[in-house]
Amino acid sequence: MATTSAGPVTRDRAAAARPSVPSCHGDAGGEVVRDGRPVVALAGSPNVGKSSLFNAVTGARRTVGNWAGTSVEVGTGAWRAGVLDVAVVDLPGAYSLDPLSPDEELTRDLLVRADPAERPDLVVVVVSATDLARTLYLAAQVLEHPLRVVLAMTMGDVAARRGIRVDTDALAAALGVPVVAVDPRRGTVTGLAEVVRTALAARQPVAAPPADAPAAAAGSPEVVTGDAFDDEELAAADRRFAVVARAVAAATHRSGTARTDWSDRVDRVATHPVAGPVVFLAVMWAVFQLTTRVAAPVQDALDGLLSGPVSGGLRAVLGAVGLGGSWVEGLLVDGLVAGVGMLLTFVPLMAIMFCLLAILEDSGYLARAAVVTDRLMRAVGLPGRAFLPLVVGFGCNVPAVSATRVLPNARQRLLTVLLVPFTSCSARLTVYVLVSSAFFGKHAGDVVFGMYVLSIVLIIGAGLLLRSTLLRAMGTEDLVLDLPRYQLPMPRLLAAVTWMRLSAFLRTAGGIIVATVVLVWALSAVQVTSGRDAEPVQGSAYGQLATAAAPVFSPAGFGDWHATGALLVGFVAKEAVVSSWAQTYATQEPGDLHRPGGLGASLRADFERSSGGHVTPAVLAFLVFLLGYTPCVATLAAQRREIGRRWTMIGVGLQFALAWTVAVAVFQVGRLIP
Amino acid sequence: MTPVPATVGPLRAVLAELDAGAPTLDDVARRTGLDRDVVAAAVHQLVRLRRVTSSVLATTCTDGGCGTCPAGNGCDAHGAPAPAGSRPVLVSLTVRRRPGA
Repeated sequence: MATTSAGPVTRDRAAAARPSVPSCHGDAGGEVVRDGRPVVALAGSPNVGKSSLFNAVTGARRTVGNWAGTSVEVGTGAWRAGVLDVAVVDLPGAYSLDPLSPDEELTRDLLVRADPAERPDLVVVVVSATDLARTLYLAAQVLEHPLRVVLAMTMGDVAARRGIRVDTDALAAALGVPVVAVDPRRGTVTGLAEVVRTALAARQPVAAPPADAPAAAAGSPEVVTGDAFDDEELAAADRRFAVVARAVAAATHRSGTARTDWSDRVDRVATHPVAGPVVFLAVMWAVFQLTTRVAAPVQDALDGLLSGPVSGGLRAVLGAVGLGGSWVEGLLVDGLVAGVGMLLTFVPLMAIMFCLLAILEDSGYLARAAVVTDRLMRAVGLPGRAFLPLVVGFGCNVPAVSATRVLPNARQRLLTVLLVPFTSCSARLTVYVLVSSAFFGKHAGDVVFGMYVLSIVLIIGAGLLLRSTLLRAMGTEDLVLDLPRYQLPMPRLLAAVTWMRLSAFLRTAGGIIVATVVLVWALSAVQVTSGRDAEPVQGSAYGQLATAAAPVFSPAGFGDWHATGALLVGFVAKEAVVSSWAQTYATQEPGDLHRPGGLGASLRADFERSSGGHVTPAVLAFLVFLLGYTPCVATLAAQRREIGRRWTMIGVGLQFALAWTVAVAVFQVGRLIP
Repeated sequence: MTPVPATVGPLRAVLAELDAGAPTLDDVARRTGLDRDVVAAAVHQLVRLRRVTSSVLATTCTDGGCGTCPAGNGCDAHGAPAPAGSRPVLVSLTVRRRPGA
């Protein structure tokens, strides 16, 4: 039975659509000239080594061209099989005789739809020892038809390296046809030539189909439609698979030292319901420890360079050209150099982080993490497939919102879009690192790791909250994952992925930061009070806006205008939080940033003041709020596109309420702890 | 290895386990007693028969950081980010419900 991209083809349609089989007597490239020689067709699944075999048996005596009336390329050539000259046709790769592509359609037509006189005299079905079950399906299907069949098995050496040995005699016994191991890359095809010659010379015209094989269907006149067609199609494929499974079981032997066993053993732990999450947390903890500890000294050195010699040098140059102390110096030195320079100090950190994540991804571990995440989500009643956009969200929330389109159910999509902002994107990482380094020293990595754990907790909590309130009626959907094998990461790929992510981060983050630096600088330059404030910038439009909003955060211990201003800027984009701090503190006290650690000292002083001495809970509350509230306007735009304005605003409210509540709880509980 | 059940062929056994919510193909292999490669081949065939849909899942965004993708650049037609390379790829499989089933 045939299927096409438009759906199953019923048998009567198939018969009506039977092509006039391309003549084998033409002289166009890709066609066989029947000159009395037997015609041998090579058939097999894609990437099975069929064309290598074709090249090996024909050598230079071959042509390749489109088959008449089609755009499908077919190779033809001459092969001296022992003492016999045969014409060889290299048929297009096909997984089965139920075609899903023009290539497969031509293979099906030439093997089983052509007039019997035009069919090949013998079919060599090429199968791979590394993927025996998949490639045997075509063989099982070909065996249902009145054709002489020989199996050629490739890639035995590759399979052996993986600890798999395929017994060709057992395979031949199971299928009832000759099976020959070949290695076309090394030219080892003489055994095949002998078997082909013998099979062609034999009086037995065709191979007997396996006893339980389904009846050959191509060309059958009866009409089968609808569900009956589907059921019969599945039943026929099922019977073929029974043949395949038995043949594989009879012929395949795996050694105990196979690499897949190692991979399986690791997977038993990595995807275990209890051990899996523990391993996942341990791996991520190690990633953040490595990131912060290795990057910290480089980051400090860069900070010292930019805030010292670079800023000082630029001031000196501007002073020399008569612009010292002017607004130009303010914008360039205290604005752009401070803001963009602060971003540059994060380059080593981001590079290490992206590289480590690329290692996890390329090794295959992140796929296991997806299994762990998926299981966790199922446990709390969230849609299983939602793990994908949420995992993507740990890189960036914007594509994560777009990625929710993989969810087929509208309400599942809505729920997931509302949860994406709680995933801790890499832009927030810069703030975590700066703040945790300034306040927690050698425990900075632990704090950063804790923020990611909290992110997961917030996702689960918000998900449960939404499912028990606004989104009660929602089904769940099972998801099956096909895990890739573990492998050693490729350095070249790691370098490419790391560079791609890093350069993209710098490109866009740089643009955002320059824009916000200019905006903050302009707002800071506009004085709206008459100098009553303790600090000049506080009297500016920027400072007054931040000061007006600051009381909202007093219960959380960070009701200071600097922190509030950074959060206002962070509403636009989290990349700009650190630069806005660097900028406003530099403008306020230019000397402070001319030495390493100056920004950290200023932050400590302000948190000390705003928290009434409870610095640690206030800082943690600040980080919690930063994690939980609106990630950036780009995410809002993406949300509005996916779920509309109303739900987007509900989401903003939910994020703010949850972030504020948890932040206040952290501070209020934390201040009670001595 | 457990023999293939006589009453249900391997293809339908795999389909039944997918339908029953087996989380991974390794689990399907354990539950059916089939060789892991036979299970993978069966799934491949079920996808071809349109009984199961298969989609590649990228677990991280190739474009990297937040600011890097304000318009979802680099995402495929479904909005999912393209996989980072041609190496390990996570594939999700979903059993297709037929009308009336």
